[in-house]
Amino acid sequence: MQRRDFFKKLGTVVAVSAVIPALGFSADAPAPVSPNKMPYQTAVDAITGGKKPVKSSKIKLKVPEIAENGAVVPVTVDVDSPMTDADYVKAIHILSSKNSNARCIDINLTPANGRAMFATRIKLGGTQDVVALVELSNGEFLIAAQSVKVTIGGCG
Amino acid sequence: MEARKSLIKIKPKKYKDGEIVQVSFMVMHPMDTGMGKDKKTKQLIPAKYINSVKFNYNGKEITNMTVWESLSVNPVFTTSMKINGAGKLSVTFTDNTGEVNEQSTKIKPKG
Repeated sequence: MQRRDFFKKLGTVVAVSAVIPALGFSADAPAPVSPNKMPYQTAVDAITGGKKPVKSSKIKLKVPEIAENGAVVPVTVDVDSPMTDADYVKAIHILSSKNSNARCIDINLTPANGRAMFATRIKLGGTQDVVALVELSNGEFLIAAQSVKVTIGGCG
Repeated sequence: MEARKSLIKIKPKKYKDGEIVQVSFMVMHPMDTGMGKDKKTKQLIPAKYINSVKFNYNGKEITNMTVWESLSVNPVFTTSMKINGAGKLSVTFTDNTGEVNEQSTKIKPKG
């Protein structure tokens, strides 16, 4: 009789222990989605309003070619502009080509800035291009891009 | 609520009237994207990021920025500014949960 009881108990223990890990796995949430998802092309169209940005050497985009850590990538944008009331840089947009939200930051400048320069640090999810889109006061758009190799992704 | 730690730095430290200086603004902020997971509880960390930064110099807005979540933790915003008389430079920043903070510094040109 004792032997029979032992096997009964052993059976329930095995069954329960088999169920626990199964529950643990099923409790995982589905893959998260960024709250402001926007692909690169949509973001560019939203900023330029259909106008074609021109590639320009006036923009000096300084980004490291190889970023060891995607969580901290320093970006510097310097635009050659007189910054007077008649001719100044209206806005600088920093975009990334493959992040789930392509937009990083929009900077609206005024002639009181004196110089069209901006620097910050951004997160990159993987190897991709960093793009600087510049809007001039006469309505023209300039663009400059540089690819960055990321060894460790910074998102998530 | 406890105020966020932030700092405004002006380069160079000594400047004259009419000079163009570099202004750096730093904040201690988590900048959570809403996609990261807590390693212990395995729960998603809700999004919390700065979405607007405004630079005001003597009551006039000189720069305003719209920010999204892909900026690094503890972000730095560096821009330039033309010194135009003594006064106050204040930076107002808002995040997506409605938290508003302000930091200011005095502008004292010499010579």
